[in-house]
Amino acid sequence: MSLLATTIGFLIQTLAVASIYILVAIGLSITLGTLKFVNFAHAAVYLAGIYIGLAVALELPFSGDIGRSIGLGEVGLGLGFLAALAVIPIISFGLGLLMERFIARPFYDRPDTDQILVTFGVLLIVQEVIRGLVGGRSMTFTRPEWAQGAVGLGPLGTFARWRLAIIAITAVLVFVVYLYIEYTDVGLAVRAGTEDAEMVNLLGVRVTRPFLLIFGVGSGLAGAAGVVSGPVFSVVPEVGIGVLVPAFLVVVVGGVGSLVGSVVGGLLIGAVEVGLQMGAPTWASVGIYALAAVVIMLRPAGLFGVVEVDK
Amino acid sequence: MSDAAEAPTGQGHSEAGDLVARWDAFRQREAFPAIAAIAFVILFPLVFTNLPAYNGYMSLVELIYIWAIFAIGFNLLLGYTGLLSFGHAAFWGAGAYAAGLFSVAISGDPLIMVVVAAVTAIVLAVFLGVLSLRRGGIYFAILTLAFGQMMYYIALGPLGAITGGEDGFTGVSVDPLFGVLEMGAEFAGVLGVLLHDVGYVMFASFFVLAIVGAVRIVRSPYGTIFRAIAENEQRVEFLGLHVWRYKLAAFVLSAAFAGVAAGLHTVHARYVAIASLYWITSGDIVIMAVLGGTSSVFGPILGALAFLYVENIVSGEIAFWLLILGVLFVTVVWLFPSGLWGLVSAMRTAVRRRLLEGRP
Amino acid sequence: MAGIAGLSGCLEGGGGGESDSEYPSLGNYPIEGETATFGFNVPQTGPYQEEGADELRAYELAVDHLNNGGGWADLCSDLTGDGVNGYQIEYVTGDTATDADTARESASRMVERDGVIMFAGGSSSATAIAQQELAQQEKVVYMCCLTHSNDTTGGDCVRYGIREMFNAYMTGQALAPIVTAEYGDGLDFYQLYADYTWGQTVETSIREFFGAAGWSEVDSVPTPLGTDDYSTFLSGAVDSGADVLFLNHYGLDGSNSVSQAVDQGVNEEMEIVVPLYNVPMAAGAGGSIEGVFGTDGWDANLDNEPTRLFADAFVERYGSVPSSPARLAYSGTMLYAAAVERAGTFYPPEVIRELEGYEWDNGGLGQEILRACDHQTMRDILVVRGLSEAEQDPTAGRYWEVVEQASYPEQVGYGCDGGPAAACELGAYGDE
Repeated sequence: MSLLATTIGFLIQTLAVASIYILVAIGLSITLGTLKFVNFAHAAVYLAGIYIGLAVALELPFSGDIGRSIGLGEVGLGLGFLAALAVIPIISFGLGLLMERFIARPFYDRPDTDQILVTFGVLLIVQEVIRGLVGGRSMTFTRPEWAQGAVGLGPLGTFARWRLAIIAITAVLVFVVYLYIEYTDVGLAVRAGTEDAEMVNLLGVRVTRPFLLIFGVGSGLAGAAGVVSGPVFSVVPEVGIGVLVPAFLVVVVGGVGSLVGSVVGGLLIGAVEVGLQMGAPTWASVGIYALAAVVIMLRPAGLFGVVEVDK
Repeated sequence: MSDAAEAPTGQGHSEAGDLVARWDAFRQREAFPAIAAIAFVILFPLVFTNLPAYNGYMSLVELIYIWAIFAIGFNLLLGYTGLLSFGHAAFWGAGAYAAGLFSVAISGDPLIMVVVAAVTAIVLAVFLGVLSLRRGGIYFAILTLAFGQMMYYIALGPLGAITGGEDGFTGVSVDPLFGVLEMGAEFAGVLGVLLHDVGYVMFASFFVLAIVGAVRIVRSPYGTIFRAIAENEQRVEFLGLHVWRYKLAAFVLSAAFAGVAAGLHTVHARYVAIASLYWITSGDIVIMAVLGGTSSVFGPILGALAFLYVENIVSGEIAFWLLILGVLFVTVVWLFPSGLWGLVSAMRTAVRRRLLEGRP
Repeated sequence: MAGIAGLSGCLEGGGGGESDSEYPSLGNYPIEGETATFGFNVPQTGPYQEEGADELRAYELAVDHLNNGGGWADLCSDLTGDGVNGYQIEYVTGDTATDADTARESASRMVERDGVIMFAGGSSSATAIAQQELAQQEKVVYMCCLTHSNDTTGGDCVRYGIREMFNAYMTGQALAPIVTAEYGDGLDFYQLYADYTWGQTVETSIREFFGAAGWSEVDSVPTPLGTDDYSTFLSGAVDSGADVLFLNHYGLDGSNSVSQAVDQGVNEEMEIVVPLYNVPMAAGAGGSIEGVFGTDGWDANLDNEPTRLFADAFVERYGSVPSSPARLAYSGTMLYAAAVERAGTFYPPEVIRELEGYEWDNGGLGQEILRACDHQTMRDILVVRGLSEAEQDPTAGRYWEVVEQASYPEQVGYGCDGGPAAACELGAYGDE
């Protein structure tokens, strides 16, 4: 294969891998940057997004220990994948609002460590509730015909159609959120609040509303990430914790509170992971952690970080 | 602080008041933690393994002691110095593997294995501490997480031939203690009932030492400075102290405890699991410390007990034990920040008050 | 209490059933009380919990048959259907969570607290190796369930571990002639393997046997544990230009790698082979496994009496068709019980001696022999092929069809100084 082809293959691969990280990381980054809130439960929205998506698209067998004792059998709307794709981000948005109201708000003034701990605990609870209801068996997201199979890009190689779709969807969503933050009043309030929340408050802008919306938007993205990645990997309750750590790495590498940072961070982590998988697979995971460690040590705010979340 | 004695009130006249005053005086003595700990290690197994509600067994008791040592050390960092590390599994795992490798390569003497594990953890902690302690708060947490994970993946993949990779490290051989005392050798008669076997005495001794050591540290000037750092780092700097050095000291100390516990674990289990380096193990120790209560030396012991009890015994009965643990954990963090030990202390205070203010 | 002659099947053996304490105490022997306790340590949480649940169902069925008759207890002349060696059987369960450490801790609990005289179960080689090492330490017999790595009866073999499940070496032997016949001679192949002992032993065995059959390996790449995105590796495989791709992944990894391979169009460029089939993988991969070759230990549709007896009893009790790990669980328990009856005691070294060298043909797979030199059973294995989505029947657990039963010793099997057995050194019996 020519060098050009390999390089482009590598780039597309990186984009595909990075897309999911980016979608999950954006919400995390924004929440951390604007609300100074460390939210491990973000991954719970991702997880819930996948399973609710499964329930919308198909029928979920409630065969976990708790599920069986409730005796629900199979629960689902069976509306198909597209419906899930459309509906889940909205549901996740709502979940985000609920999470902000009931979990985040009581903890805004409590130390970082408490935030980490309680949101980690919430993630654990959500994971176990899902396991109890649905069971630990792996599930697949069946897709419509057009989303399956591969597409050949000539000399560049063949790629899974759905992965290319993920890249496209991510690009669109990120662009929309970017416009939202850059060009709307809400976005302005959020950006200002990120830099100096106190000042914004003194200026008379009610900060809670935009923050609430941002929490919701971030969660919506996480839910979208869940539905979008569902077809790629087998779904088990552990995928929530599985996506949490890479997402955090993306946030710290890219920079807290910065959308551009999340995108760049995601691409970097994706590139390192894919590159090592091609060259020295056993070092792939070590590599991304090493990258994160180096960035934190040299520039704790991250590459594009606007804010340093100090103790 | 649970160790501080509460001054008896003026109602010392009543019998109960007298008792309380005498008890407080006893508590203040140097030897109290040691005596209490020794009493605990004698009484606890008898209660735990015999009452039907507990369903305990000796191996679990020893495991509780081991994790409690780890948790106590970890809490010196979290509860007293205010630093949350999400990568302490690195010390636990490194110490465990070091002890295992040592037993295969050189000698299976359990005491030396524990020392090797502790030294390994300390050296690693100095190295990682220098790198990680530049930042605080969330960054410190994620940095320690990152280092821990790096070690995990290195041990799993590239170094898999040495560590045994996913299978874990098998083939640990444990020689008799001091060359003569077989770890499983049981004592006869009364001694047997109280002290069980040589292995138990070893684990219990380290447990007692850990408690005594931790109390010592906490009551020393070091301990005071740690707590000061947790409250207001800047102020400590202004007082002319090198905050960073004390943080490193706390970090290394906590790693030393982890190393000792890890060595003991390898002796106990004669096996090292790859999961001992994984971030979930780091999470487990955080849960133990927080659940038990971070504001005292004894809280983490309770936390380790509760966690291991649910994990080992409740799990045998109920499949969704992790859910229970999660709910318990969130409840504690949310509503009872001083943990289970805090509840115990509160009850103690209530009892004390009733005794003192009893009938006039 | 003595063994009563029943239908043919097991070899005749001594059937003494005196209450035994004629041997010194070792491990959890002698048994205290009126009942003997077995321990069943299966994945009850985690991605293999469905497989674990099936194993547990089979274990419970086995205990029921041992205590009350039915199934293979009626088939085997050693078993009485009225307890084992005069003792009624009770059991306790544990959760391995498909993690070696958890498995070991839970097994340790069963040995210490519950005083089990035998423990069994598990869905991964890592848990099996960990548990059998514990068995050797504690001198309590462990009957392996699902473990496919060569190391379990190879370099990591122990006296107190017994395995009926076949290994990667035998998979290689069985697959090579059939797959090469189907796809052609002199082809190139590429391997992706899970980077831990199981995957490594499969990779080695595939290379050995397909190489001997005239194929040549282009490359073999490890996929690190925890990988769930195989796209990069799969592109590498396609780029290599090889004709056949071996995906040496199990369970969840397997369902990811197979479905991603199909998604990426790999199956249009290369033929895919998955050496070890299992339900979690097939369920997760769906229609992607169509036409894919692999091996399995047993199928509920085999046409012989023991299979029917077991499958029918299972279906009647649970309403679902047993998977092959379930049969392993059932079979292992029966094997152990029969050995105890023949030995006339639960004393582990004597039971182990009865197991070593034992031959039987009523396990549903024809003639099987449990070798003394490495505690590995030499037996037939099934070469299978995945069905299309339309033909699959998930509720009946039917995802693949049996192509051939590769028999021992003609097609599979190896001597005590060959293959993995060469690396095996069993430990002590405990009564030396």
